[in-house]
Amino acid sequence: MAGYGAARVLHGVTVHLEQGETVVLLGANGNGKSTLINCLMGLVRPSQGTILLEVNGVSQELTGLSTESIVDMGIALVPEGRRLFPNLTVRENLLLGAYRLAARPARAKNLEFCFHAFPALADRQKQLAGSMSGGEQQMVAIARAFMSAPKILVVDEPSVGLSPIMVKQVISKIDELKVAHGLTVLMAEQNFNQAIRIADRGYVMVQGQVAFEGMDAAELRDNDFVRKAYLGV
Amino acid sequence: MFEHQLFLNAVLSGLLLGGFYASVSIGLTISFGQLNIVNIAHPAFVIVGSYAAYTANSGLGLDPIVSGILFMPVFFAGGAVFYRVYHVCFEARGDDPLRGLAFFFGIMFVIEVLLIIAYGVDYRLVEAAYIGETVGYGAITLPLRMVAPFLAALILTFGIQLFLSKTFTGRAIMAVAQDQIAVQLMAINPTYIKQIAFGIAIMTASLAGALLIVIGPVEPSMGRQYIGRVFAIAVLGGMGSIPGTLVAALILGVAESLTATFYGPSWAPAVSFGLLLGALALRPQGLFGR
Ligand SMILES: Nc1ncnc2c1ncn2[C@@H]1O[C@H](COP(=O)(O)OP(=O)(O)OP(=O)(O)O)[C@@H](O)[C@H]1O
Ligand SMILES: [Mg+2]
Repeated sequence: MAGYGAARVLHGVTVHLEQGETVVLLGANGNGKSTLINCLMGLVRPSQGTILLEVNGVSQELTGLSTESIVDMGIALVPEGRRLFPNLTVRENLLLGAYRLAARPARAKNLEFCFHAFPALADRQKQLAGSMSGGEQQMVAIARAFMSAPKILVVDEPSVGLSPIMVKQVISKIDELKVAHGLTVLMAEQNFNQAIRIADRGYVMVQGQVAFEGMDAAELRDNDFVRKAYLGV
Repeated sequence: MFEHQLFLNAVLSGLLLGGFYASVSIGLTISFGQLNIVNIAHPAFVIVGSYAAYTANSGLGLDPIVSGILFMPVFFAGGAVFYRVYHVCFEARGDDPLRGLAFFFGIMFVIEVLLIIAYGVDYRLVEAAYIGETVGYGAITLPLRMVAPFLAALILTFGIQLFLSKTFTGRAIMAVAQDQIAVQLMAINPTYIKQIAFGIAIMTASLAGALLIVIGPVEPSMGRQYIGRVFAIAVLGGMGSIPGTLVAALILGVAESLTATFYGPSWAPAVSFGLLLGALALRPQGLFGR
């Protein structure tokens, strides 16, 4: 359970994520996807409930930890609205991603991988992040999160403000990164068709609750509730 | 012919003066330009640096510039502690910046009073072999008491710039005021980084103060003369840009030196603000603003 001040936003949400999975959080505007993700990252404090991370069979509680220490445990977020450092260059943004000690030794290799995965960024290393196009900024945000060498990559609505072609590309890149580096991905997304392309499982959130849990992409696609909510049929 | 040499000499001494100004302003560029902390007391910390160098020089016979460097860790630690206090009392409460300004204004007066109690109101000066010497070529003569601070200030400026652009901590300092949440998402503790950054800002005051007292005698309230200049330089340089600070400081030094040579020293302060206003009208983001 969580909210902002007196406003309750999440009501008894349970979501789980297995290693190596891509799980999507679906749901229309204002249904609490970002709030749930922000709880996971320690940016919003849940009033009740716990967040657990299991590493090598040992359960650790993330609830109450600072955002820095959660990221330091290998959970990276590509936040809603990207939140780049606009007055720093693309390269500086990416290197900031590699700040955590565990990510520093591999920074050169990971940087190279980023430029390989996003060739558009390689030519724009010296450009200020704030002067990039929306699509390019989203690539920088994803690459920056990847630079922290995470085990779990959390992405909050990567498609916002992007053209349909760009959305498709960005979603594919997330899958590429996941496959190449054995990541676990949790992604909030409104673009249903693009999201289920790479999803193993998904949750549909409505008014701060999980309204439907789909065990695979087909189940999400064929569900009446989802069809009504998303496909208008 | 005579005019020519006068002009050349004025420009060269202006550059030397400007280099020194950079050392005084660089701390403010970090605290004000990069951390959004309106540390109006920065020049007062510089004066503390002068008195530290004076004490080491008169007591132990230590070279003032060397002692300015030796005191850097002490100033760093002091700055870090100082930031903690500021953070707990003002920043963390989300109080409006005006109260923070009042805080630093108060600090400035406290520093002045403490210096007066400890050292009195008289001017103090240091001794070193190079003070009083000149280097020259033809008609150009430059006093070493200006050349040495210029060189030390350049090294300081390049050192800080290198640190900010090439290290993880340095990049975190450049990022920290831009987006607090994004910084945390990089596994960076913003308070810790700001504390280090503020420590570095105050650390530069140790050397800048030593340079100031090499250039000429110092008294406790002398920092006030520098408040206008350092803010003008920090803003002109583009708020947070170290290369910008250096260039703005050099421009201001030359402008002041030319004004003093051809119109008289009393016009020099008007030049700082004239330049600032003019530049802001043409380029609101400053010279090197991003
Ligand atoms: N900082 C905040 N303060 C107060 N209320 C907030 C805040 N952030 C979000 N909310 C509210 O919480 C509810 C859920 O918002 P949330 O951002 O989690 O939704 P979302 O599913 O991510 O929506 P979207 O798809 O538009 O991003 C909304 O009613 C919103 O108004
Ligand atoms: Mg959202």
